[in-house]
Amino acid sequence: MAQAVSPSVPVRRKRWSTSQIVLFLVLILGSFVMIVPFLWMLVTSFDWAARLTITFPPKLWPEEPTLKTYQIAFTNIKMMRYISNSAVVSAGVIIVSALSALLSGYALSKIRFKGANIVLLLALSTMMIPFEMTMIPQYLLFAKLGLINSYWAFYLPALNYAFGTFLAKAFFDQLPTPLREAAVIDGASEIKVFSRVYLPLCTPIIATMIILLFLGVWNDMLWPLLVLKSSVKYTIQIGLAMFTYDNGINKQPSIIMAATAFSLIPVVVVYLFLQRYIIESIALSGIKQ
Amino acid sequence: MAINQEAAQPLPSTRQRKKKWMTRNDWMGYAFSAPLIIGVLAFAIYPMFAALYMSFHQTNGTSLTGKWVGTNNYSYALSDPIFWQAIKNTIYMGVFSVILGIGFSFILASLINSLKWNLGKNFFKAVYFLPNVVSGVATSLLFSFLFFPSKEGLINFLFDLFGLQPVGWFTNPAVSRFSIVIMSLWGALGYNTIIFLAGLQSVPRDLHEAAEVDGANAFRRWLHITIPYLRPIFVFMLIMGTIGGMKRFTDVWLIGGTAGNPGGSLMTVVLYIYRNAFLAGQMGLATATSYLLFIIIMLLTMALMLLNRRKDSLD
Repeated sequence: MAQAVSPSVPVRRKRWSTSQIVLFLVLILGSFVMIVPFLWMLVTSFDWAARLTITFPPKLWPEEPTLKTYQIAFTNIKMMRYISNSAVVSAGVIIVSALSALLSGYALSKIRFKGANIVLLLALSTMMIPFEMTMIPQYLLFAKLGLINSYWAFYLPALNYAFGTFLAKAFFDQLPTPLREAAVIDGASEIKVFSRVYLPLCTPIIATMIILLFLGVWNDMLWPLLVLKSSVKYTIQIGLAMFTYDNGINKQPSIIMAATAFSLIPVVVVYLFLQRYIIESIALSGIKQ
Repeated sequence: MAINQEAAQPLPSTRQRKKKWMTRNDWMGYAFSAPLIIGVLAFAIYPMFAALYMSFHQTNGTSLTGKWVGTNNYSYALSDPIFWQAIKNTIYMGVFSVILGIGFSFILASLINSLKWNLGKNFFKAVYFLPNVVSGVATSLLFSFLFFPSKEGLINFLFDLFGLQPVGWFTNPAVSRFSIVIMSLWGALGYNTIIFLAGLQSVPRDLHEAAEVDGANAFRRWLHITIPYLRPIFVFMLIMGTIGGMKRFTDVWLIGGTAGNPGGSLMTVVLYIYRNAFLAGQMGLATATSYLLFIIIMLLTMALMLLNRRKDSLD
């Protein structure tokens, strides 16, 4: 009874062949599989009956609709704190990484200094080093610097965004070089050429980097798990993970689902508004890599 | 004539100042690249060598230095049954998620691509991609309930409707690894689909048209033109999927804890590293294991790259 809702088929048009209709129905069915987990999450998150354990049978509508679950999620899990922490960390990492990538991408593409190729090769080859291999020395480095439990442990490593450098260099390569030469001859400083002449043309690649970085930082868990020790500093993922880790997984479905649903709001909102752009960025980053 | 040739020469972009070691231009280049260079040196090159150094030492907890123990850490890991179990589990989950992931997403991308209705195309792209923006933490929490071991869980409820016994998705060591595979399929399907779609649109029309003239039907064209043409994308996804699969951590840590429950079936290599480094304080053993992981990833990547090297009739 629960999930047997048949999808409504849109008005058939004459030019639709049978195979196209079958195709459409198959894809609709598949979309259902993708969406049902989200629906279950939302329904459960509003169901007071599921506050302690999961209810039977699965509902299409909360048995005892309530907003209290969200209230509890906010007081017990400090969601607002974690979300704002995540926002701060994301913003910092995005600024540091994007700047590092744009500056170096510009230098490698337009300044073409002695040793530029070596710098590019070095940066690109480090992309092959798994983070899991360097995380222990990095952790010890930050411990030595006394920066454990500090967001510097996010901002400083953000300087190393070789993939962004690669994207930015490829983008600058497409922009005309004579722009720089003309400006330099006119006596403009390098930083002025970069910021006044080229940067305004870079919006597409900046947007791509912001999207990729935001999704990466917002959803990251391993590094925050290592360096964030006190709960006031937790980012959203680690806050959510630690709450369930301490309470035991599978407990308090509606509270956990309320918190999870809330943690998804920023990414889903960003996704809804920039969906086309995100998909393009992902396709681009996939192909470029 | 001579003047023309002069003009055709590219303008010197760097003002050559007679054989100076570093020109102003070079300095500028390094100044602009400094953030990147510092980042790469401090957070990639240095930790890579530090990890190598540590892997030959016995360290106590939080220090970078310790007693030289030669290859003891490596031989300890290689003779530790938990390490081998971790390798087995990681490869099991990796292989299934990569193969099923690529298979499903390629079929899905082909289906979406053959839909002749653009609005629908974009709609399906968006829907199938949505789980991809969801974090590993959220996905794991959600599926821990969907995969609830009794018939209260949604999946077991559906099984029950068809008269099947409830499955202990995350409680039965025999199936837990495959449950992780299903979960990651849900999460990652859209990513591969998007990349395949971009690839499918790059297949030249005339190849298809020529085959159509020769009487090949749509399925045969898909099999003999589209798939060989997209081989680089398949190889790319195999490589990326394998690398990602070898680094599995978040979901297994959240669902199985640091013991990789149930029954050690969710112990992965990174979980093994994490546990040794941050719970047991065995930094030397952990870094040695991370080097073993790196070597495995490199070997697998190189083996997969060979797939792309092989020439066939289409090239």
